Amino acid sequence: MNSKPSILLVDDETAITDNLTPFLGRSGFSVEVASNGEEALQKVASQNPDLLILDVLMPLLDGREVLRRLRQASNWLPVILLTQVGEAGERAMALEEGADDYLNKPFDPHELVARIRAVLRRARPGQPPPSAAARLACGKLVLDRVSRRVWLDQSELSLTPKSIMLLEYMMTHPDELVSRERLLDVVWGWDYPVGTRAVDTRVAELRKALDDDPTRPCFIETIPGQGYRFVGTVETRT
Amino acid sequence: MRLWRWLVILAPTLLGTGLALYFFLVYNPSHNHIVYLRADLGILSFLAGLLLSLVAALVFSLRARVVQAILHASSVGAEERRRFLRRLDHELKNPLTAIRAGIANLAESSSSGHNHETLASLQTQTLRISRLTSDLRKLAEIEVRQLERLPVDIPPLLREAFRMAGEHPAAARRNLNLSLPQAPWPLPTIQGDTDLLLLAIHNLLENALKFSSPGDTVELHAFEDGQQIVIEVADTGPGIPDDEQPHVWEELYRGHTSRGIPGSGLGLALVRAIIERHNGSVSLRSRLDQGTVFTLHLPAS
Repeated sequence: MNSKPSILLVDDETAITDNLTPFLGRSGFSVEVASNGEEALQKVASQNPDLLILDVLMPLLDGREVLRRLRQASNWLPVILLTQVGEAGERAMALEEGADDYLNKPFDPHELVARIRAVLRRARPGQPPPSAAARLACGKLVLDRVSRRVWLDQSELSLTPKSIMLLEYMMTHPDELVSRERLLDVVWGWDYPVGTRAVDTRVAELRKALDDDPTRPCFIETIPGQGYRFVGTVETRT
Repeated sequence: MRLWRWLVILAPTLLGTGLALYFFLVYNPSHNHIVYLRADLGILSFLAGLLLSLVAALVFSLRARVVQAILHASSVGAEERRRFLRRLDHELKNPLTAIRAGIANLAESSSSGHNHETLASLQTQTLRISRLTSDLRKLAEIEVRQLERLPVDIPPLLREAFRMAGEHPAAARRNLNLSLPQAPWPLPTIQGDTDLLLLAIHNLLENALKFSSPGDTVELHAFEDGQQIVIEVADTGPGIPDDEQPHVWEELYRGHTSRGIPGSGLGLALVRAIIERHNGSVSLRSRLDQGTVFTLHLPAS
């Protein structure tokens, strides 16, 4: 029993919920729908879903506020935010407020399913996700997400803002295969033809700064032809 | 407006002249020093009135000119916006028409074999709209987002863009040249976002490859010009008609020569937005049937 993970899908746009619900259903999830933030909070309390998909822009109570209230109440229910615009501010906000992941509209529904599976696989029930922690550590590497600073062996590294965003996404999604396209979307907010190369360049920079040997990585592993994976064990610190 | 300006000129002039006349008429010319002093005062007040009215006229006419310039600029902006909306409407119309036709097909057809084709076409059209919105968002974000301002070394950036151009399907049948100055000194660095600058140069090179024909030459040059770095992308392609040249930087503009060549109509608008965010400028020179050169000016750091 209870083999199907339950998802609460929250979006005020019925055209989206009407079409996504059967799609997610066929992908092996049982789906409930809420059309605003108030209803979402009620259904979270009454139905206790395994995962919440939350649109940011909604009437009454927006997705961001719903997420904030949940996290303030120490509810670590996995949340995927659907951001309306790919603005850097909104992307940064999504992770800062403790969403497990986010997706920019318009998105490929298959990508949403991939995100859901990754988040569910990573989720430890009742425990805060790495994306809700202010500080992340992996061995001698420490990332302070609030002050945007990074230390290796207690000495501070000088990294560009983009490199820090890249590292942050990798560390908040440990042991997950992250495609170059996804990293592009995270760090730059869009896909562009020169993008995947830009990702490779940044990862190479980051590795050099972290003194990480790509052939025997402690932090970032290359998955040939697919992307990157953060292989170290990430501890959360508050 | 005009009447007021004349009044402003005339009133003090008349006042000044009046004062001067008063002094001359009331006191007959004599060798009295006080009278001379008063006459001088009259002349002085006349001159002061004249000066004041000149200044006032100047201020008024300048203000009028500024107001006119603002009105003109806003009408140019409004015209550009109208053109943009017309183009956006056009860009959305085609895929939407295709989608509606596809849906009508699906609703009426009974054979599932045909449905497969229709679905594939629907997918293509929706992706086309997705790409359009994503490109528009990109453009909007480049105009406002905080730029990374780090020293960018131009030669490796251009070599990278050039290498990528070499991988373009059209590149095999074009003569590609890259020229970077070695003497008297290497190019200075600039402050900026290396990814965005790479994107700008990539877009220009890709355009040059797309619009030229086999056997054409595409060149990438860079040199230093005083406090600026100049980057040129030149081709021996078909050229851009004079009347289209001012519009090519506008969002969604597609010239007559670009019919049938795939593109979003946002590539050059992106280039312009990126370069202007780096406090640079863009320009182009083109001759029909001879070629085009796009020029980027970027301030050196």
